[in-house]
Amino acid sequence: MTDSLPSAVAAVVCGRVPPEAASWLRESAALSARSADAFRRAWSAAGRRLGRAPLALPTTDIGRLGRDGAAFALQTWATDECGRGVLLAAALSGLSPAEQAPLVAELYRTGEVRERQALLKWLAFLPDPQRFVAVAVDAVRNSALPVLEAITCGNPYPAAFFSEAAFNQMVLKALFNEIPLRRVLGLHERRGAELARMVDAYASERRAAGRQVPADAALVTGDLRA
Amino acid sequence: MKLFDPHIHMTSRTTDDYQAMAAAGIVALVEPAFWLGQPRTHAGTFEDYFLALLGWERFRAQQFGIRHFCTLSLNPKEANDPRLADEVLALLPRYLEKDGVVAVGEIGYDDQTAAEERCFAAQLVMAREFDLPVLVHTPHRDKKRGTERSLALLRETGFPPGLALVDHNTEETLPLVLEAGCWAGHSIYPSTKMDEPRMVALVQTYGPERILVNSAADWGVSDPLKVPKTARAMREAGLPEDTIETICWRNPVRFFSQSGRLEMGAVAETPAVDQRLLWEGNSVLRGQAPRVDR
Repeated sequence: MTDSLPSAVAAVVCGRVPPEAASWLRESAALSARSADAFRRAWSAAGRRLGRAPLALPTTDIGRLGRDGAAFALQTWATDECGRGVLLAAALSGLSPAEQAPLVAELYRTGEVRERQALLKWLAFLPDPQRFVAVAVDAVRNSALPVLEAITCGNPYPAAFFSEAAFNQMVLKALFNEIPLRRVLGLHERRGAELARMVDAYASERRAAGRQVPADAALVTGDLRA
Repeated sequence: MKLFDPHIHMTSRTTDDYQAMAAAGIVALVEPAFWLGQPRTHAGTFEDYFLALLGWERFRAQQFGIRHFCTLSLNPKEANDPRLADEVLALLPRYLEKDGVVAVGEIGYDDQTAAEERCFAAQLVMAREFDLPVLVHTPHRDKKRGTERSLALLRETGFPPGLALVDHNTEETLPLVLEAGCWAGHSIYPSTKMDEPRMVALVQTYGPERILVNSAADWGVSDPLKVPKTARAMREAGLPEDTIETICWRNPVRFFSQSGRLEMGAVAETPAVDQRLLWEGNSVLRGQAPRVDR
């Protein structure tokens, strides 16, 4: 799957951008497999080369990509985010397994906002994704809303790989930032007594301060108590 | 009239400044990388500074309806620390390709040393490699000689003059810069550099072509509203609206558009303000109701 998803995405992107952008993506992906420096430059230029419009795939195209998780994600990804994943998959294919995780960590550390967004959205679809858990957990500490949403919303990574403590912190952070908890994948499966306690405590703090309790708090606590 | 401040160091300004700038009509600005008032001792602090210009400061400006672009460089003052200089020059290519970087700068001379010249020349080469214009700082001490040397280096290295904005001009340097074919910036300061009445006189003599004004506001005594104040001084002196708009809007847009990263359409519209957005866990708001444009 990890080999075929980037090529399927590449085909979709190339079919939707102008011909010169499509050839840029194909050539840059080929180059990225051979040179990490060429990859870094293409990674940063992708927004200007491919555009930042949402891909807004018709359902027929999504169906062809297979795998529910990928199909769900691609509905909300932008063209540059898709293109960056194609480039990253190519770059990783040219590296030994030991070199791959450091490159991913470096891309997060040195990324501006859209670069970080793209990286986080792709984490779950890279080879051996459990290696990147430190990057993903760190992204939750960064409250730049677009970056926080990239890891928190519609992303299968946290539910699959976060520890209970990290997952709970992410849910609480989403509540603080008024991110609808319905966008957190796997919340129903991952929520436990400790998360319910934390959300209850937050609700109590809000009430004591005379502030409203976010309605979404009930998504964590309500059913468990019932 | 929309206004553009093509040189202002917002990392050292407050949210009150952002509010006042937006209220005065500033909708876009360029923040050049410079020094921080005292020398840095590690290349890593440059890297974090670049990331702040590309991240937090861009976000902060957006909260007040102002588009934030930046220029990145090793500045002339810190070019004199040889170990630091080489490390910063080595990490620059990693950042010059990023969105929102509209020039290499500030580069140029400060004390006019050999070390400064080496870094100036090396960054002119980088600008060509990354298809970027350059923002050239001219020295405060021995300014005319420093400006002549800057123009000579641009000429000797074959750098296209139309891609160079030479900044902090005075009555004595402006004619040299215009004659060389470069763009000419003027930093309007409360007591040093250039002031509003002198700027009006320069525009009356030379017209608006390739002329820009900026506040160069930073952590020192400076005024982030100098672009609107200079526009008003030009208006009161009877200069045509078209001239004022050319200097305070069209020229910076034209110059930095040469980077291919100014995104004219986006600049021309005031960005929608959404102060509910947070950055690194910190809201710019402290309890007041967020302003949200819909």
